[in-house]
Amino acid sequence: MAGADPSPNAAPAPTGAPAPRAAPSRVECDVLVVGGGMAGAVAALAARESGGRVVLARRAPGASGLWGGAISVAPDPAALPTTPWAAHAGVVESARRVAATVPGHPYDVLRDRLDRLWNAIEFATGQLSGILAPPTGRNRWLLTPFGRAHPAATCLHSMAAGDLAEVRGVLAVVAPRGHLWWDAGLVAAGAVRARSLGAPEVRLVPLDLFMWEEAALARPFDLARMLEAPGAAEDVGAMLRERLPRHAAAAVFPPVLGLDPAARVPERIAAAAGVPVAEFLSDLPSVPGLRMLRALDARLAEAGVELMAGEVREAQGPGAPARIGGREVVARSWVLATGRFVGGGIARRGRLVETVLGLPVLASEGVFAEAGAHLAARPPGALTGRDSRAAQPLLAAGLRVDADMHPLDAEGRVLHERLHAAGAVVGGHDQASDGTGMGVAMFTGWLAGRAAAGGKGT
Amino acid sequence: MTTRFGALSYLAWRALGAHPWKRAVRGGTGTQRFLAAYGSEGLDPTTAEDRAAAEAASACISCGLCEAGCPLAGVAPSIRDLGLHAAFRLYAKGAPELRHAAEGLDACARCAGCEPLCPTGVPISRLVRYFQGKAAERRRLEAAGPTPDGPRT
Repeated sequence: MAGADPSPNAAPAPTGAPAPRAAPSRVECDVLVVGGGMAGAVAALAARESGGRVVLARRAPGASGLWGGAISVAPDPAALPTTPWAAHAGVVESARRVAATVPGHPYDVLRDRLDRLWNAIEFATGQLSGILAPPTGRNRWLLTPFGRAHPAATCLHSMAAGDLAEVRGVLAVVAPRGHLWWDAGLVAAGAVRARSLGAPEVRLVPLDLFMWEEAALARPFDLARMLEAPGAAEDVGAMLRERLPRHAAAAVFPPVLGLDPAARVPERIAAAAGVPVAEFLSDLPSVPGLRMLRALDARLAEAGVELMAGEVREAQGPGAPARIGGREVVARSWVLATGRFVGGGIARRGRLVETVLGLPVLASEGVFAEAGAHLAARPPGALTGRDSRAAQPLLAAGLRVDADMHPLDAEGRVLHERLHAAGAVVGGHDQASDGTGMGVAMFTGWLAGRAAAGGKGT
Repeated sequence: MTTRFGALSYLAWRALGAHPWKRAVRGGTGTQRFLAAYGSEGLDPTTAEDRAAAEAASACISCGLCEAGCPLAGVAPSIRDLGLHAAFRLYAKGAPELRHAAEGLDACARCAGCEPLCPTGVPISRLVRYFQGKAAERRRLEAAGPTPDGPRT
């Protein structure tokens, strides 16, 4: 194990020449994870399980900070819009169906390992059990801010009571009168449309929330902080109690019920109102996203993963030094979890490029899977289609990997035995809209982290 | 044929006679004349610096994560109403729109607490300083503008 360097700040051994000024300290570790979103965090935590020294380098929070609150693993692609939710396949079977219907999707690449998908989801949600509800194996149906019901393997604790398939009775959708940020009518429409699929009856409940002057134009983060104040949640609960419709089984609020889950805002409102309270999924800026970033940070620190802030420069891959925020890091294995366009792992610079190591990029989705390597060389503007529902090669751009999460070159050969990739930097799927983004991040992160930590003889 | 000859001789007269004559009579540099004609409409000449700033600002995806680290976001009404990222979005629409974000830009305390929070790596504090300068410049231009805003004759 690379514990030879007892102090991370120790200077490199003098070589006889006068010491170079501001010599960066050298860090040697077993696994370097580049990227601090969900995939990178899960990879680091999975790698850390085997006890090695794990460094996670990140420039900024990943796109996971834009997360709306749902852990989307797989919707059932075989279900029709009229198929009742009770008849939808479970999460793992849905993933198998995605693998069978979307060529080139990470689930398709990993189809022989999908029996481990559930281990990965349980591992990741277990690590984050402080904020995530335990997954049940079937999809929960959660209200979005845009009038739809969204299937997710699990979600924040504060959203679990809003699972439309589980509410037995009337669901109260709270419409805050003092704030224009959310359209509660639109939110409720998501359940109205799904009434025949298994959604409960909904009733809009206008509440005089956020009616004081400072709140009228406050941003979601501020509203969340305001509700954490002693007594604020209890007042909201008492207000809700008076306006609850008959047979109300649960109430859903805008996703601003406290920044810090430890403030227990939903629980306090529920206790005062006498019904379970949940949040619907979030738009941007996202309070759930910020909660997730904080939970990831806390868990990584607790697990003993070393966090380094800064961009990775002069990177050459596993075994060679890379510069991260003024320090030199040498790692036996690497996991690239740099995300796609938001995270910055894939960028458009005349053509599509992978930004850390310059690996070959594939741009394809579904029916274009075979043409990927050729498509990526075209200008990014040529990789979108007019029909927004059709496959968009640009949005599915990313690295091509094998079942061990090794990035591949254009001919399909492994680039480096100890280089792995995870999350949205892996292409073949449109992670932002196909309903599998977080599932792919957790599954590929778990696989890549374990692969990077294992096989020390290689 | 005569139409073509007429058009070409008109263009020749413009290029060789009217235009140099006008230039001699009006005076001022090209930039000054351009600004006199179009400055009040916000069509400032764009420098290489402006283009670099606009490109950096265009990486903003309006996710609002920076606001979580902005101590002013909850206090300064201008930032609270629009959000810090509004300055980038407004600038993307055109320099004249920057005046709407001027108050928010001026409220910035330059603590740079937002910068490590940006997922797309926008150099926020550098851009805020740059846009503050641009907004001040626009205010000066508009105050000293040769023509008021409005339809041009």
